[in-house]
Amino acid sequence: MHNNIFWIIIRRMRTPLLVIIITFSITILGLVLIPGVDSNGKPYHMTFLDAIYFVSFMASTIGFGEIPYEFTYAQRLWVLFSIYISVIGWFYAIGALVTLIQDKNLILELNVAKFNKKIQNLKEHFVIILGYNHSTRELIKQLTADGKRVVVLDKSQEKIDELELEHFVPEVYALKANVESPDILRLAGIKKRNCKAIVSLFDNDFKNTKIALLAKLINNKINIIVKSSTTEQTQHLKNLGIKNIVDPFNLIANRFYLAISAPHLWILEQMLFGHDLYIHDNEQLPKGKYIICGYGRMGKALRSSLQKTDTDCSFIDLKSAKHKAEKKSAIFGDAQDYQALLEAGIEDAVAIIAATKDDLINLTILLTAKKINPDIYTIARENTLDDVTIFQAAKIDRVYILEKIVSEYVHRVISQPMAHQFLQIIHQHTEEWGEEVVEELKRKTCYHPEIFEVRIVKSEAYALTNYLKDGNKVRLGQIARDLSNREKRAKIHFLMVKNRKEEVTLLPDDNYEVKVSDRFLIAATPEARENFELLINNVNEFEYTITGHELQFGILKKILEVKEEI
Amino acid sequence: MNTQKVISGFFIILAMTLNFGFFYGDIDTFTHHSPYELFFAIVVNLIATILKLGDKTQVGSVLLATSLVADLQLLAAAIVWGVSVYVFHGDVQNYAQLVVSLSGGALMANIVSVIIFMGDTLKSKR
Repeated sequence: MHNNIFWIIIRRMRTPLLVIIITFSITILGLVLIPGVDSNGKPYHMTFLDAIYFVSFMASTIGFGEIPYEFTYAQRLWVLFSIYISVIGWFYAIGALVTLIQDKNLILELNVAKFNKKIQNLKEHFVIILGYNHSTRELIKQLTADGKRVVVLDKSQEKIDELELEHFVPEVYALKANVESPDILRLAGIKKRNCKAIVSLFDNDFKNTKIALLAKLINNKINIIVKSSTTEQTQHLKNLGIKNIVDPFNLIANRFYLAISAPHLWILEQMLFGHDLYIHDNEQLPKGKYIICGYGRMGKALRSSLQKTDTDCSFIDLKSAKHKAEKKSAIFGDAQDYQALLEAGIEDAVAIIAATKDDLINLTILLTAKKINPDIYTIARENTLDDVTIFQAAKIDRVYILEKIVSEYVHRVISQPMAHQFLQIIHQHTEEWGEEVVEELKRKTCYHPEIFEVRIVKSEAYALTNYLKDGNKVRLGQIARDLSNREKRAKIHFLMVKNRKEEVTLLPDDNYEVKVSDRFLIAATPEARENFELLINNVNEFEYTITGHELQFGILKKILEVKEEI
Repeated sequence: MNTQKVISGFFIILAMTLNFGFFYGDIDTFTHHSPYELFFAIVVNLIATILKLGDKTQVGSVLLATSLVADLQLLAAAIVWGVSVYVFHGDVQNYAQLVVSLSGGALMANIVSVIIFMGDTLKSKR
């Protein structure tokens, strides 16, 4: 890449350099050949040194005057001619150099070289994100908050500038480039061992598929996360062997189904995003007749989940684009629209879902519905993160923000793989099981536990790992202890454990034997989390918890040992 | 006919012939070596160097290297000459051998350059 910069400069500077050499040599030669007169009136010829000196300051318009002696008219005529050709040649060269510095290609190459160097020097794990938009911005925020390194590619310089203004910490490496080119993907480090995932969340499904395919061909081991918005596309991606496919409509449908049929499983899922362990009043989905406005991808997905729960529902087939074209406005709520709502049975419906592609139409549907039936439960689809405040102000009971759902999902896949797996497992369980788990969590921790992952390796659990490597055995109950009093159990609950062979134990009990390389998914109060992390890392705390004795070391230990011997 | 080849060939060969013209003569006698010839040799060598810039091939790089060597040697010769005249005010004759032998070195580089250039041209199918 450095080579490219060099060649761009060389190619651009060829003509200016030629012009300078030729004009300078002509003027120098003329000055040497034309005879002059010295101070004594004797004829003389300028030497090459004098001539080069004179031309150098003449061409650069510094102009020290006529040296070494005053010029004759013959010399002045030649100098007059020389000024025009050499000054023009000089300015042309300077101008070419200035344009070269501002040259778009050169700047681009310089950026590419800088970017390449940064990627080559990256030692920690990183994630490549393609395209900078609302969802990926949310995602970058979450990933950088975890301290993860992110590399972003986008084809528009404006977006890159926007990203740079955000000042993410740690620094996000960004480059303007065509994301569909294999060379660019390689440049972004897709083949590096420490590149953990590549994320493509474009609205265009074909683009996502193409990128997924390219990424898979270049590096088979990498974790590819792509968005797909139709079932056909999802199937297609599955056939390609892509494991992580984000289908926002499918995600919403699943959540919706859980919320209606298994509220406690829904709580377990939401808990991972920091939800409390109980259902707030306005989150309780009513039972009864539902109305869905908008029969697009989301409408269909919701219908299938409603049908699974045997809920009665009716449709208003509303297409945002068609609506806007017919009514010439993005507002729902004239006499005809009222009629449509009444026909769908709004008066005896318990909930209405606005699921069109247009946020303003969604908003006005719900406001109109509330006018007819003030008690109705309102659910909105929000397409972009732009209008969050408006939706909040409209007091809608439940809002599904597509972009946020996508970014949260991807964040979980990358940053919390255990939590991700946990979710997939609980989906197979029943509501009764979910209720039991939630009650146990409430009893053992608190109403608002923190969820975190710990891996039993030296970097994350120093004391515990060393203890295990010495051949000792530790049961889970032994380390779930309060630091101030080892007789008491800490407010901590183990949700899941995965051992070295990828075998999963759901809700391990206190007799579970801890092994090196186990990964735990843990729920705990913030205080218990802090204590637990201290316990498994700090040798002194660990010794106390396991044996009940304070660890002794250094001179004190020797003195004590001697005493015991006596 | 390739115009670019004509122009670059002209300058590369002219650089060599001018260089030879300056070099030819009694090594001790300055009257045999004209300063004008050295001046032209330097100018034409510089032009030849720039014409060779931008060729990314292996042969192009070696050609460029020979030219840079010749430039260096000729400029060194000119500087030695100038310094001997203006700074040391000494007898120019004392430095004649050094100036001429420096240009002789440049001549070697120029000959290599012409040989490579001819080889490359003969190899070309167009």
